Amino acid sequence: MTSTLAPPRVRQDAYVGVIEDQELVAGAQAGDEAAFEELVRRHADRLHAVVRRLVDTRHEAEDVTQEAFLRAWRAIGRFKGDATFSTWLYRIGVNEAHRRRERRPGPQRETSLEEQLVEPREPRPGPALVAQQRALHAALERAIAELRPDLRTPLVLRDIQGLTTAQAAAVMELGEAAFKSRLHRARLTVRAAVAGYLPEAPDV
Amino acid sequence: MHPMLRHPLRFGREHRFTFEHASQYLDDDLDEAGRERVEHHARLCPKCHELLAALHRTISALRELGTGPGEPGDSDVADGVIARLRAGR
Repeated sequence: MTSTLAPPRVRQDAYVGVIEDQELVAGAQAGDEAAFEELVRRHADRLHAVVRRLVDTRHEAEDVTQEAFLRAWRAIGRFKGDATFSTWLYRIGVNEAHRRRERRPGPQRETSLEEQLVEPREPRPGPALVAQQRALHAALERAIAELRPDLRTPLVLRDIQGLTTAQAAAVMELGEAAFKSRLHRARLTVRAAVAGYLPEAPDV
Repeated sequence: MHPMLRHPLRFGREHRFTFEHASQYLDDDLDEAGRERVEHHARLCPKCHELLAALHRTISALRELGTGPGEPGDSDVADGVIARLRAGR
């Protein structure tokens, strides 16, 4: 399809560091496409980083990110500002990622409590620190990819992306108690999967 | 005598509490009484002590994933979104 969009009314970097998201949202709600594109520039990388770990491929993550912004643009008039724009946007992106996973054939893998407590499945890597770190990160990525979506999402939002519990629970439209419970189960599962890769550490 | 043998029911109750609240303890999300229960039990229970230490290390490693370099091409994400938005309008 050929673009029929008029040229932006402002320079691409005109909003940087000057205007809050809230004002850009108001502009977008009034039909200012350049304001919405500035929201894209501010939030696309982080949304992509979230959904990248909720779907299987980088290509799919890009597609989910694009679809999330398209949906956000179409729905921006209905955004009431009860949550921040980023929380609202992440919710759209996370829901879109989950929809795609649900459409995919094959059973979701369940993890029992006993399985969470088993010994590591893979041997400890070599002693070199860099190699150990790389192996730990690879083991983490595998463990995250094997988590059920309802456990993976809290872990990605809270522990990897650094959202607060309140923000992450709001993205998932969960109460904080339910969110914390899922996060804890996710951490236990990942901890069991990577136990052999964790460095020795002093007491907590 | 080991405390677990002296008060097995209480020990079991504190063991479950610590297991269930380990993440909240590490997130500094327990009230003072809860924190003290976890810390007291972890001093007596090697398994819970190890659980807390391993979870702490796991969470630290997960945070490193979030601060690491992105994949090649990640900087093009916003451009791709904007191109699709413009094409769809």
